[in-house]
Amino acid sequence: MDCLEFRRQLGAEPGRRDAAFLAHRDACPACAAACARAQQFERRLAGALAVAPPARLAERMLLAQATAERTARRTYLQRGLALAASAGGAFVLGRFLGPRDDDDESLRALAVAHLPGEAFALGLKQPIAVSAIEQGFLNRGIRLAASPPPDVTYVHDCPVGPYRTVHLVMQRDGLPVTVIYVVGHRNRAHDRFERAGWHGTVVPLRAGTLVAMAANPELLAGAVRDWRLSLDGPAASGHLA
Amino acid sequence: MPVLPFVNTRQRQFEALVRAHSGELYRYAYWLCGQAALAEDLVQETLLRAWKGLEALREAEAARGWLYTILRREHARLYERVRPGIDELDDEQHAVEAAWADPERQGSDAELREAMLALPPKYREPLLMQVLGGYSCEEIAAELGVKANAVMVQLFRARQKLKEALSERSETNHGLS
Repeated sequence: MDCLEFRRQLGAEPGRRDAAFLAHRDACPACAAACARAQQFERRLAGALAVAPPARLAERMLLAQATAERTARRTYLQRGLALAASAGGAFVLGRFLGPRDDDDESLRALAVAHLPGEAFALGLKQPIAVSAIEQGFLNRGIRLAASPPPDVTYVHDCPVGPYRTVHLVMQRDGLPVTVIYVVGHRNRAHDRFERAGWHGTVVPLRAGTLVAMAANPELLAGAVRDWRLSLDGPAASGHLA
Repeated sequence: MPVLPFVNTRQRQFEALVRAHSGELYRYAYWLCGQAALAEDLVQETLLRAWKGLEALREAEAARGWLYTILRREHARLYERVRPGIDELDDEQHAVEAAWADPERQGSDAELREAMLALPPKYREPLLMQVLGGYSCEEIAAELGVKANAVMVQLFRARQKLKEALSERSETNHGLS
């Protein structure tokens, strides 16, 4: 490689590291000096281009995707239902796609049936801001009495059947724990269930009902305890569900 | 598994992609379009398209190049839809100048940034791909659909133009002082 070719390559690709390029640089002091100047310029250029991205950009992008996904799924479902209704097949569709046990309309059945529609939320790993969780409850007219658990990765004010709820996901021991807090509907008693691979517990809490679900039943008590503390406050949450 | 493990895995893969690449995609978008808000829109569109086509991504190592390609196409598509007029370009330039007028963003490299934004797209784009994306000349050539030699010339000239602009500004400043 001669000096002309070296300078041509240096001007186009200063980061080159092929043998011929490096050999000429080591053999020619003038080109070595040019290479040093070029590297200096590259560092300056890289620094100048290093624009800081907006704060919480990744979270905003994930929220946009979750929203788009939710909208798409809703549209798909609406089209499916419209089709079924027009064909007079809504009843059949309901039997095949909806909860199939005798307690189709029970809160636990509705809670479990709600999960596949928002399955993406189970994979979210990054804890979200306390303010976002508080806002999720405020959207349902509820002010938390104490800080929410620190490992909440998803919150949304979802309708579940006829109920107004706050849907949350936490990550515990590497597994998602889903909590659905039903606003304005208080179950009369505690309830435990196992359904479609989920273990769940239903707990009357404040003026509503908390449904916690996880693949591992050992994670449920801690989740209920934490949300009892958040919803009732430290003074009222002296005992476990 | 309780529900839809496929969806779960796909979402996890996407989340990792977003966290790993959204920052550098934003930088690339910013220097392509010169506007912070538009850059964020471009990144969002890019990632939404990536989510829809995630099955096309066979290897994690290819993710970066794949996302850059989507972003470039989104940028081109944007300019097909909305071809900025002279007034809009003026606004764009003002927005960029205002952004750098922010004391937090000012620095010794302000002149270089201005020079970068003044580069014609045919020089700016390959230079961004090389400096921000780490692409080789051959990779840029493949991405842009031109010959590697042409890319080398564009990159050479891009740097020459930047250096000339800095030199001119330096001379002007010396003349004023």
